[in-house]
Amino acid sequence: MDYSRLDLVRRSATPLELDVVESYANGRITRRQFIKHATVIGLSTPAIAAVLAACSGGATPTQAPAGSPGASAGGSQSAAPAGGTIRVATQRPVSIDPVLMQDLSGYGMVAQSFEYLATLNKTGDDIDKGLATDWTTNDDGSVWTFKLREGVTWMADGSPFTADDVVATMGRLVEAGNSGLKGIIDDKSTKAVDPTTVEFTLISPNGNFPYLVSVFNSQSVITPKDYATGTTLDAKPNGTGAWKIESYNASTGATFSRNPTWWGGTTPLDSLEFVFFDAVGPQVTAYQGGQVDCIVQFDVLSGEPLLTDANTNVIATRAATHRQIWMRVDTGQFVKKEVRQALALSLDRPKMIEQLFKGRADLGNDHVIAPIYPYFDDSVPQRTRDIEKAKSLLAAAGTPNISATLHAGQLLEIPDLAQLVQSQAAEAGFDLTLAVEALDPFYANAWCPAEPKDPPCSGAAELGIVDYGHRATPDVYLNAALKSKGIWNSSQYASAEFDAAFGEFQAAIGVDAQKAACKKIETILNEDVAVALPYWYNYLAGSSKAYEGIYSSALGQMFFSSTAKIA
Amino acid sequence: MAVISPTVDIRSERAQARRESRAVLFRKPGFVVGLVILGMWAFLAIAGQAITPYDPFNDFATGHQPPGPEHLFGTDRLGRDVLSRVMVGARDVLIVAPLAAILGVTAGSLLGLIMGYYRGLVDDLVSRIVEAFLSLPVILVALLTLVVLGTSTLVVVLVVGILFTPIVARTVRAAVQTERQLDYVTAAKLRGESGLYIMAREIFPNVLGPIVVELTVRFGFAIFTVATLSFLGVGIQPPSPDWGLSVSEEYSNMISGKWWPTFFPALAIASCIVAINLIADALQSVASE
Amino acid sequence: MTRWLLRRLVLSLITLWLLATLVFIITNVLPNDIGRTILGPFAPQESVDALNERLGTNDPLLEQYLRSMRSLVTFDFGNSFQSGQPVLPTILAAIGRSGVLAAFALALTIPIAIIAGLYAGRHRGQPSDRAIVLFGLTFSSIPEFVIGTFLVVVVGVQLGLLPVLATPPPRAGILDTARFLLMPALAMAIVYFGYIARMTRAGTIEVLESDYIRTATMKGLTTTQTIRRHVLRNALVPTVAVIGVQIGYLFGGIIGVEKIFNYNGMGQLMLFAAQRKDIPVLTAGVIVIGIVYMLATLAADLIIAWMNPRARLETH
Repeated sequence: MDYSRLDLVRRSATPLELDVVESYANGRITRRQFIKHATVIGLSTPAIAAVLAACSGGATPTQAPAGSPGASAGGSQSAAPAGGTIRVATQRPVSIDPVLMQDLSGYGMVAQSFEYLATLNKTGDDIDKGLATDWTTNDDGSVWTFKLREGVTWMADGSPFTADDVVATMGRLVEAGNSGLKGIIDDKSTKAVDPTTVEFTLISPNGNFPYLVSVFNSQSVITPKDYATGTTLDAKPNGTGAWKIESYNASTGATFSRNPTWWGGTTPLDSLEFVFFDAVGPQVTAYQGGQVDCIVQFDVLSGEPLLTDANTNVIATRAATHRQIWMRVDTGQFVKKEVRQALALSLDRPKMIEQLFKGRADLGNDHVIAPIYPYFDDSVPQRTRDIEKAKSLLAAAGTPNISATLHAGQLLEIPDLAQLVQSQAAEAGFDLTLAVEALDPFYANAWCPAEPKDPPCSGAAELGIVDYGHRATPDVYLNAALKSKGIWNSSQYASAEFDAAFGEFQAAIGVDAQKAACKKIETILNEDVAVALPYWYNYLAGSSKAYEGIYSSALGQMFFSSTAKIA
Repeated sequence: MAVISPTVDIRSERAQARRESRAVLFRKPGFVVGLVILGMWAFLAIAGQAITPYDPFNDFATGHQPPGPEHLFGTDRLGRDVLSRVMVGARDVLIVAPLAAILGVTAGSLLGLIMGYYRGLVDDLVSRIVEAFLSLPVILVALLTLVVLGTSTLVVVLVVGILFTPIVARTVRAAVQTERQLDYVTAAKLRGESGLYIMAREIFPNVLGPIVVELTVRFGFAIFTVATLSFLGVGIQPPSPDWGLSVSEEYSNMISGKWWPTFFPALAIASCIVAINLIADALQSVASE
Repeated sequence: MTRWLLRRLVLSLITLWLLATLVFIITNVLPNDIGRTILGPFAPQESVDALNERLGTNDPLLEQYLRSMRSLVTFDFGNSFQSGQPVLPTILAAIGRSGVLAAFALALTIPIAIIAGLYAGRHRGQPSDRAIVLFGLTFSSIPEFVIGTFLVVVVGVQLGLLPVLATPPPRAGILDTARFLLMPALAMAIVYFGYIARMTRAGTIEVLESDYIRTATMKGLTTTQTIRRHVLRNALVPTVAVIGVQIGYLFGGIIGVEKIFNYNGMGQLMLFAAQRKDIPVLTAGVIVIGIVYMLATLAADLIIAWMNPRARLETH
């Protein structure tokens, strides 16, 4: 450990930055977690390099840790563009309104033209400078200052990108109740200090703020100040990004062409061709038939052949995508904690992961802190299948047999998961009847009916499975699904203890404090089992090896700005 | 001299003809083959899980094993034995389809009888409505209705049954119109019998032939329709091993070479419908001789 | 002739009106929150209420019905709930695409089925007849989506002979388009072969056994051409009738085939609209399909009338 070098950094670090550096220096977090967290905090790259060098004996760190298999970074951006196009298969987008969109396909479309303050890094697992080149915070993380990139223009009319656009965008997001920013900022939080500086005064301190205005909060793309909510990308093509939308047909697909005025340079490819599908199966068929070169997202069961194909780059990202098996804690047969624990104990999670994902998933432990988060605390024992214990718990609760209806929506592997749950829980004494329906009626009738409005989702079914997409921080899961009167709280869980622990987490500055808060959260949730959470599965995307330089987030955003055709 | 009512003569003649037809029927190879196949599926539907080699719902082995000595038809994506699921898959289809067919034929026959007998305004009016229904592809209307009302078994039976009614009505109407012109009907009317009586006791037994043929044809179509609806996701729901549903759940895996979870249920669908068509065909040729 | 045509037209209009009413009843029978369906489960309640107000979904049913009927008469089908695009152009484009596929399928199957049916009818009872009947029977029992799947796997993926996605690239020539559409068209053609061939066979048998053919033969009219013309004309009457009706069933099969081959025709559009409860698209789609069916049966009846003047009096 080269303390002299370390001290150089320590001396100029804010308390927040210092905490991260110390955690790493003392081995409490891994190198990967340090780099990730330091970037969030706003520690400059030279400082990070210095710390890593100091602690590892001189080796200069690479920009990012070893990437996930297949995700090749780079491509010759400085060389003359090689030209050509790439055909991409994607699920048909539901909406390409930057503020209101909710589906991954929409995110992917919009992200081609519009950009984020903090964008995706080249290995697809963290954030990097985007429309903001620098961000710093005050001592306690309650005020964040973002320095905006200069020389960026809007592709529709060439007008300059300024702080006013950011302010207007944030205002729209607050008004729309954006789930990532709700309770973090309000309509007075964002201020344009000067045309290239924006200051955010948060409602309460939050150490993870940059993530909430990054690619991981998909709707937080920056749109021009006059881009009213309700405008869709195809209605008013614009953006600061690498690609300009040329055509959009909701039935068949969309095409984008290179934006010659993009600040990032000239893209190697000339254009992108998106083809819309309604299911993954046909996408795989089309890919294997050579009619598309790339698939934005596929699941293991439909895309099995791709996993072993020699000509395919599989981009596998560990993600926080998961399913929650909610149980009503206030009424019905699952009121008693023992019953809920019994259901959780009847699940054979490793087998589920093997059957549904061929092993490409992390174990879930009935709480919403995913193992990929740096503040995940692994001290809570992993729950495993124990039929005897489940039976005894049910007996202790006075209900050795429970008959209930398990609701689920038709999405990816959820109907199969429901069948596995039904079968596995039967051994413990649960007699479950399946009710699988299309997503729209499922959301509207079983998961979160509009009535009664208060508390939200109080008309939810007794037992059901709902999907949650990947988020870079667990704030949304904790807030919406589990906090008292959360907007997506189907289980009607209301625990003062949990709410307090959640508050602790949000206020926590520094990895150690966050980890301590998470330990409390994990323990409480694992004990109460308001939702059973069996797995966190990997996000899978694939492309032909004829192309290189594709990277993707776990939220449907695939980036082609450095993609080149090599074959 | 006793006057033998012409009705009695015609009736006993027809009864004799029916007995002869039955004998001819059983001599047709198509009919016998069809009956055997259908009988096999009916037996499997009734016997159900009692005779399957594995539990079709809860027995999970390794996923996507190719057909082999342990699993004759291989395993599906979750590791369930395909043979067992195909055997039990007969049950849902052979409950839903016949019910829908019977509903359609009953309602259609009633409608056809009324339309054919009363003619005039009643016929014209109802015919318009019938034509409106006929100009819609069954699948599309079924799809629409099932999406709106939800996909319970009851709704599937009702929807498919109601959608078959106009087609049956048309056929029965044509047959009734032919019968209506015959003497025995005029005789009955002269006797003062009510319309209801004439339709029920006089005409109906004589259009029974075409009705039975329609029933078998509709049965085949019902299986076809329910399989397609399940394939589209609005028919029978998981975890049922229904054949159409199985195909829809596994067809994308055919690309990667896992043909068996799709092939065998598809074969089952085909064999069932072919069997029924063979029976219907035989009935039709006997009826027209 | 004109009177008959006029009568048919009036009856068709009445039928179309009944169709529209039927769709309205189906889509309004259950209370459903249109605004919620469009905006999705995560949108704030205020936006949903505002949208419902704007769309007029809270108005009394009769008012909505009248509005719906009025818009149909003016061919104003409104905008799709899903995409916000005007409905009519979307539907027309989709019908066009499905029409091309259906026409291709019929072009493949009709000539072959008729020839097979005629041959089977003339050689009744012989092994070739039985083979044709059995073949037709078997394949018309297999749903189109099943045959489509087999074709995709064997011809598309394993042998790589034909493209697996049915949508040809824009500006493709006729031959190229044919190459892309061959597999889905084949899937449907194989299924419909059975119906048409058997109908032709039945018609042929009936004609061959009829009096006037025997008379013609006895009279010495052995010219193959004359017999063929007579036989053809009359044997094909039930066939044409069947083809007219099949146009309606074609749309059922097309939904399955379009799903497998990811072809953006009416089938996919309707399936997707049904799942998303996109009522303007569904209503317009059903009406348009109804019109197509009516035109098809009208054309069939006209052809029959031309082929067999006597039959004209019997159709109504």
